[in-house]
Amino acid sequence: MKLLETVGLTKKFGGLVACDSVNLHVEEREILGLIGPNGAGKTTLFNCVAGFFPLTSGSIYFNGQDIGRLDAPARAKKGIVKTFQIVQTLRLMTVLENVMVGAFCRTSNVATARQEAEAVLEFAGLVDKRDVLGAALTIADRKQLEVARALATKPKLLLLDEVVAGLNPTEIQVALDMVRRIRDSGITIVMVEHVMEAVMSVSDRLVVLTSGKKICEGTPQEVSCDDGVIKAYLGERYHARSQ
Amino acid sequence: MSLRQQTLTKIAQKWDMATITRWGVFALVVAGALVAPLTIFKAPFHQHILIMVLTYGAMATAWNIIGGLGGQPAFGHTVFYGVGAYITGLLFVNWQITPWIGMIAGGIVAVLVSIVIGLPTFRLRGHYFAIATMGTGQILLQVALSAKTITGGPLGLPIKVLPQGLYVFQFHGTKLPYYYIILGLFGLTFLVQYLVQQSRLGYYLRALKESHEAAQSLGINTTYQKLLALGISAFLTALIGGFTCQYLLFVDPVHVFAMSVSAKIMLCTILGGVGSIYGPILGAVLLLTLSEGTRAWLGGQGRGVDLFIYGSLILAVVVLEPFGIVGIYRKLRSRLVRRSKSETA
Amino acid sequence: MVQIVAQLVVSGLMLGSVFGLMALGLALIWGIMEVVNFAHGEFLMLALFTSFILFTGYRIDPILSIPIVAAVLFLVGLAVYWLVIRPILGGPAFAPMLATYGISMLLISIAGFLWGWDWQRITGSVVDARTSIGGVAIGFPELTAAIVSALMSVAIYLLVTRTRMGAAIQATSMNKEAAKLMGINTDREYLVSFGIGAACVGVAGAVMSTFYPMAPNVGALFSYIAFTAVALGGFGSIPGAILGGLVIGVTMNLGGYFLGMEFKNSIVFVMYLLVMLVKPTGFFGW
Repeated sequence: MKLLETVGLTKKFGGLVACDSVNLHVEEREILGLIGPNGAGKTTLFNCVAGFFPLTSGSIYFNGQDIGRLDAPARAKKGIVKTFQIVQTLRLMTVLENVMVGAFCRTSNVATARQEAEAVLEFAGLVDKRDVLGAALTIADRKQLEVARALATKPKLLLLDEVVAGLNPTEIQVALDMVRRIRDSGITIVMVEHVMEAVMSVSDRLVVLTSGKKICEGTPQEVSCDDGVIKAYLGERYHARSQ
Repeated sequence: MSLRQQTLTKIAQKWDMATITRWGVFALVVAGALVAPLTIFKAPFHQHILIMVLTYGAMATAWNIIGGLGGQPAFGHTVFYGVGAYITGLLFVNWQITPWIGMIAGGIVAVLVSIVIGLPTFRLRGHYFAIATMGTGQILLQVALSAKTITGGPLGLPIKVLPQGLYVFQFHGTKLPYYYIILGLFGLTFLVQYLVQQSRLGYYLRALKESHEAAQSLGINTTYQKLLALGISAFLTALIGGFTCQYLLFVDPVHVFAMSVSAKIMLCTILGGVGSIYGPILGAVLLLTLSEGTRAWLGGQGRGVDLFIYGSLILAVVVLEPFGIVGIYRKLRSRLVRRSKSETA
Repeated sequence: MVQIVAQLVVSGLMLGSVFGLMALGLALIWGIMEVVNFAHGEFLMLALFTSFILFTGYRIDPILSIPIVAAVLFLVGLAVYWLVIRPILGGPAFAPMLATYGISMLLISIAGFLWGWDWQRITGSVVDARTSIGGVAIGFPELTAAIVSALMSVAIYLLVTRTRMGAAIQATSMNKEAAKLMGINTDREYLVSFGIGAACVGVAGAVMSTFYPMAPNVGALFSYIAFTAVALGGFGSIPGAILGGLVIGVTMNLGGYFLGMEFKNSIVFVMYLLVMLVKPTGFFGW
């Protein structure tokens, strides 16, 4: 069942074509990796899907419904939630309060929101930091918090933008583990990522973008063997290693 | 543990030393406010100062909801004050509607005005909203000055002096009723501010103040939330406008739509500590005693002096301590805490 | 009827040219460092009064005093930036806005103290004359003001787009960090921009003083005119601000005639709200 489908998604900024007629789909409960060189249009695509940029042309279908007219908050309520490449931690609020802001998406009751937030903090392993101010967190914790906050909105589709960038190998494993657990709990995930090992190991399928166009899609194995992809992006070494 | 022991332990946990002190201070202040005009501040002039402190304290508290908590620069907030004053006055003068209802009507109109201001500008960056609040005040001032037959024009709207009573909201010979009414109104605005801060709206405002985009990604309709906060703030401010209309028995367009009123309201909050719930009243106490005091001292020459003082104070606070008295207090407290920690370590 | 409309349009364009120059100054400050200068109108008021003093005290004709007034305002701009804006740029976002708001109050009170609160005007300037072209009366003060403003606007536009300094200013406005890495002294660019923005207002005020009355409170209206012009033209766009000024000049005149003189000023605010509703990015904005 296609949870998300983009048909001819095109986004132009003046003369610059950031996304060029991109057709992709996401199956329910899968982890889709979105990769490509810098400037390929991955984050722009995310912003279009999440509702932050209006499309120049094309359509987006979520659960079969055309969501083109909905703005970002409306799409979040429908279940499409995005995290930010540069984390937008609410620095003046505590970890718990940050997550509560997410939880309020589904309830207006403060006590209920607090309960939901506590549950999410458990899931994300941040319970012992619940009263720490956002400003005092490490980058790894902030990334974790960003995801936890998005989770509190009870999303159907989670768009993770470079969620392991800047983390050391241990932190990356912790993050990837949480990604898997999120998927296991029934949420579909699309990840934009540059850290190849991370996205290769966790994704069910990959889509590769270059200069705004989709050039390949398939399993990590298929994609890493595709000549076009290797030429554009992965480099000889990875290809050779995967043989 | 027996049931009695369990209950006692729970009570002891909730009511620790810090909480008791806080509630104690709070109760003292409230009691003090209740008896102040009867004891230390018996002179009518002193009571007038108290009324002014509470008037601006209430408006500053209302402002804090959109300006401090919400972080939106409402630079022309006096527009709601003026609306409240005029609506209350007009309803009474023309149709003898009791000002108690008039104040509420004024509040409703103020909310409508706030929507006109906020709807176009809240989608954009903060300064557009700031300019819109100031501009709307100017438009309404112009309307008040021009519609002479309705509003009395530049000469203002006088309220006919009637035998005193609760219905006509007039009391002669003593300021005490006015004092207690404004005290009640201040209590109302303080309560509303507190409730907003503790509610979902409060969390949403704090979130969108820091990161608009993050808020939107979490399903927050930022424009709606800002309108909600502004509407609440506008309503409360208009109530105070209605009160002032009855207290002065006169509505002067140049006063109720004056930039200096907006500045004073904002300054109370900023001086006291923008965003904190005690900031507005603290700032009001400081600023109003200062301004009413200097007015008595300087007399009529004071025309530009208030602007000079407000301008200087705003600059001083912004440059030296943007978070006002509460900011200074917090810094001192954390320094004391750190020092005691390093001493015990 | 056509006659009257033509008259209104022409005098509106002339006044609008001056508004454009003033708005250009604001666009420069606003566009470069994202500081909304709430004291902009008061800068104009200051320029008007400086011109007044030079004329009544030292017999220097307003037209001749243009460079002096421009220099004075340039220095005022530098001072405001260095003493007030610069220290608070790193702090809370509302701080610079609030600071300029405070400065506007200070300037009004100081002006009132120095020159009184009553309306004053300059008469007997060298350009005090009128003529008529095709039935449309044209006052020389207004015409001179329009021409000087237009020339100054073009000059500033060229400065910002064609010179090295202008390029540095634009670079700083687009990406401060990158500009710093390129060796641009961003502090100096901010300083200079604020000064030039204020100098624009200085020139506008100097030429306006030949025909416009002044009082300490006159700044508020001009602030709104400048804001609306910049909003109309689009945030950060200099040609937009100039165009916005012209549009406002004409609209104010036409509106004032058809709706009543007392609403002449209110029209500006209504225009502002309309722009916000309909096209907040303005003609050329980003």
